[in-house]
Amino acid sequence: MDFANIASQLNAGTILPEGIVIITLLGVLIVDLILGRTSSRWIGYLAIAGLLTAIVALYFQWDATNPIGFTGSFNGDDLSIIFRGIIALSAVVTILMSIRYIEQSGTALAEFIAILMTATLGGMFLSGASELVMIFISLETLSISSYLLTGYTKRDPRSNEAALKYLLIGASSTAVFLYGVSLLYGLSGGQTELSAIANGIAAANVSQSLGLVIALVFVIAGIGFKISAAPFHQWTPDVYEGAPTPVIAFLSVGSKAAGFALAIRLLTVVFPLVADEWRFVFTALAVLSMVLGNVVALAQTSMKRMLAYSSIAQAGFVMIGLIAGTDAGYSSMIFYLLVYLFMNLCGFTCVILFSLRTGTDQIAEYSGLYQKDPLLTLGLSISLLSLGGIPPLAGFFGKIYLFWAGWQAGLYWLVLLGLVTSVVSIYYYIRVVKMMVVKEPQEMSDVVKNYPQISWNLPGFRPLQVGLIATLIATTVAGILSNPLFTLANNSVANTPILQAEKIASTQASAIITEQAE
Amino acid sequence: MLSVLIWIPIISAAIIGFWPGNAIEPSRARLVSLTVAGIVLLWNVFILLKFDISYPGMQFQEYLPWNETLGLNYQLGVDGLSILMLVLNSFLTWIAIYSSNKNTERPRLYYSMVLLVSGGVAGAFLAENLLLFFLFYELELIPFYLLICIWGGEKRAYAGIKFLIYTAVSGALILATFLGMVWLTGSHSFAFDAVSTQNISAGMQLLLLGGIVLGFGIKMPLVPFHTWLPDAYVEVSAPIAILLGGVLAKLGTYGLLRFGLGMFPQAWSVIAPSLAIWGAINAIYGAVIAIAQKDIKRMVAYSSIGHMGYILLAAAASTPLSLVGAVAQMFSHGIILAILFHLVGIVEAKVGTRELDKLSGLMSPIRGLPLISALLVLSGMASAGIPGLTGFVAEFISFQGSFSTFPIPTLLCVVASGLTAVYFVILLNRTCFGRLQNNLAYYPKVVWAEKMPALILASLIIFLGVQPTWLVRWSETTTTSMVAVIPTPEKTVISEIALK
Repeated sequence: MDFANIASQLNAGTILPEGIVIITLLGVLIVDLILGRTSSRWIGYLAIAGLLTAIVALYFQWDATNPIGFTGSFNGDDLSIIFRGIIALSAVVTILMSIRYIEQSGTALAEFIAILMTATLGGMFLSGASELVMIFISLETLSISSYLLTGYTKRDPRSNEAALKYLLIGASSTAVFLYGVSLLYGLSGGQTELSAIANGIAAANVSQSLGLVIALVFVIAGIGFKISAAPFHQWTPDVYEGAPTPVIAFLSVGSKAAGFALAIRLLTVVFPLVADEWRFVFTALAVLSMVLGNVVALAQTSMKRMLAYSSIAQAGFVMIGLIAGTDAGYSSMIFYLLVYLFMNLCGFTCVILFSLRTGTDQIAEYSGLYQKDPLLTLGLSISLLSLGGIPPLAGFFGKIYLFWAGWQAGLYWLVLLGLVTSVVSIYYYIRVVKMMVVKEPQEMSDVVKNYPQISWNLPGFRPLQVGLIATLIATTVAGILSNPLFTLANNSVANTPILQAEKIASTQASAIITEQAE
Repeated sequence: MLSVLIWIPIISAAIIGFWPGNAIEPSRARLVSLTVAGIVLLWNVFILLKFDISYPGMQFQEYLPWNETLGLNYQLGVDGLSILMLVLNSFLTWIAIYSSNKNTERPRLYYSMVLLVSGGVAGAFLAENLLLFFLFYELELIPFYLLICIWGGEKRAYAGIKFLIYTAVSGALILATFLGMVWLTGSHSFAFDAVSTQNISAGMQLLLLGGIVLGFGIKMPLVPFHTWLPDAYVEVSAPIAILLGGVLAKLGTYGLLRFGLGMFPQAWSVIAPSLAIWGAINAIYGAVIAIAQKDIKRMVAYSSIGHMGYILLAAAASTPLSLVGAVAQMFSHGIILAILFHLVGIVEAKVGTRELDKLSGLMSPIRGLPLISALLVLSGMASAGIPGLTGFVAEFISFQGSFSTFPIPTLLCVVASGLTAVYFVILLNRTCFGRLQNNLAYYPKVVWAEKMPALILASLIIFLGVQPTWLVRWSETTTTSMVAVIPTPEKTVISEIALK
């Protein structure tokens, strides 16, 4: 084998964006080692610049002629590009949030950013990974960094407890996932590359065997953990409450997007033979997540916990698109995850801002805030209303598209449940808005009465403001001017060979099944 | 041309709400929004004058592609069904802003919410796309919630959340039905003309129509789903009650006519008998409950429920005459409710109570509120259906049109109309007549500016009562063409059943 041939098979250009992230990551670490704490003034911006460069690099890879890299273990197709973009963007906003937050907690910023970027890296690789070992490694990179981030404020006992919980549950769910993956390796006759596994299973004629179903269930246990779908959600409220707020902002968007990217790739490529089965399982997960997430969120008093249950519920909505399994279904998922990025990060920015100024995040403490901090009130109200799906905000269009795609695919009951639980969700989202806007000046909470003078000139507040305003604007107009985003989401699905091949595969699969039945 | 009606209020709402600093002083907010509402009203009258009453379809259409994937287009148009509602909306918005307290707390938020509601309602009446309609329909939700919760009475938090949940459920039902309609017809667009329900099976049509009736029935409201209304109407301040009862309730009836009757003519004729009975129940229920009330505002709120029953009856009958009556009833109910709420608001502000047991002798010429009481008598009569006022015209046309189809429900509605007179007489007797209590009666003067809206509304009520052509001419061709689509043989069968 000559060198040129190897180079073309490696096709290392496909991971250029990740390469940029790695270089920035190392840069951040080295600068921190050399300059020490003094570098923390600008090291955040260095990381942001690196991530933005990576996003630009992703843009140039759009519609690449040969997206397969590393002899088939990495697939840089449009689907992966869009998910990598979402993850990188969520990391950018997270860094904007964390500059002040981490400084105030008295820990090192550069270390935090380095771990966050490692998590980003893991998520980005996971979006494109198309080989079992590669999937597992990037999943672990994401998970291990997430455990570290969760326990980063190590003097806070709640943060420690959250990290322990997350670690124990996460490690066991990865173990279950690994078991499922190893079953796949065995069932397919020793293949690790996803499409080869699909062919191997089809050829081995074990379709719908017990082994395949067990492998499927184990894999779903791992995915369900990442996207915090209902029976695998138990870590979410505790971790969200204990972990540093920028970390949960990242976990709720970046880590969740990575989980969905993995779900699409793994389920459509490997399991077309048991498509009905995984659709059924995910229907159950979606129903549970929507009901449990929305109903339990009603009873929360802590803002972060409320947002935790809300993120469980939102995962339930997104799963509607996955279950639909049509082009419209997948692109509605992508669109929703895109707007979810804006609204959730906008919401979390406001939560951080409030807790930085007052040191608490109880919902009752927000009462009367409109008088002291109108921008924060506006940002949090808009993002929460958008999460509730109120027109004409971005979340409304996201939900409409999900429900539209679900209805087209015949998931009537699921869509109806989604509608009903959306009504429930409006109730608890508006509770916060009511606290902030409706309360009279004399009903102001003590914390708000002593609200510090707003000053954006303190170190680290400017990036928070930039992040808040950018996500706020995006949340407001991404619905009305949604056409480019829609086109992006649709194209990324239409240009992705695996999703197009899936249809053929599933028809073939049904043909095989009917043959066997005869 | 039509976009102006939507975007001027919404953009000025944004400007009033977000203009940095004190460039718009709070005290000016009222003036600015009054000007804006005035401009919109004039523009609306201009459109009304240009409106071609002989053409049954949509006029002044506007089209902009928006979101192809969702089948959502920015598509506007106005026809006989919506033109009067638009005028009502911009007129009552002007009245509501005019009659708002000059010293409202947080004026900038208040006026921007009012204008936002007004623009949203105009959008819903103008939309020619189901999804666009839904978007504007849901747009009312939050501004109204805030208007109830911030500037309401004592139990405002409860009333606000009740309103919010009922309306959100109604929205969910409507969205589900719209999705069902479009998907079952196999259309890729939500545009009105792209959705034809003719080829859906009869059972599905009934199911979808049920969703429409329930969804809009909550908003109208129809009887078992009305419980949000008394709380909401009573707790809001008078100007907001004008908007809520005068305009927002019309969204419900408009939706029922446009999407129920207009899009499911066959299924409509099947369920029409039960709707007629439902309408009669609504009318009687509203009247009877109103008789029992001790609070004037609550009385007026239940009277509103009763009047919605007439509209439902007229819509169910769906003869050319009864539909004209339904539209006329919608408009006249809007202005009558507006004047009633306005007057009740003045009485409450001057006397300080709304209790029937505490009020008396307001008619007293010197120390009472004579002009206000006189107007109250006039508007009570208009609401009860006394000839010479617009309420009579509308009710008479509806009953005349419905009688041939559903005689018994119509008679029941006539009885309800009589009961309306009963509780308005109770109301007038307890408030206007009798003696003033000497120790309490030191009422502040009612200045002319406060009487203005009521005088304008009263002269409109009288004018339309003696010159009803101006009330009915706008909608005649449209409603006639709507009726023409309804299958006739079934109708005769139904009328036979109803006669038995």
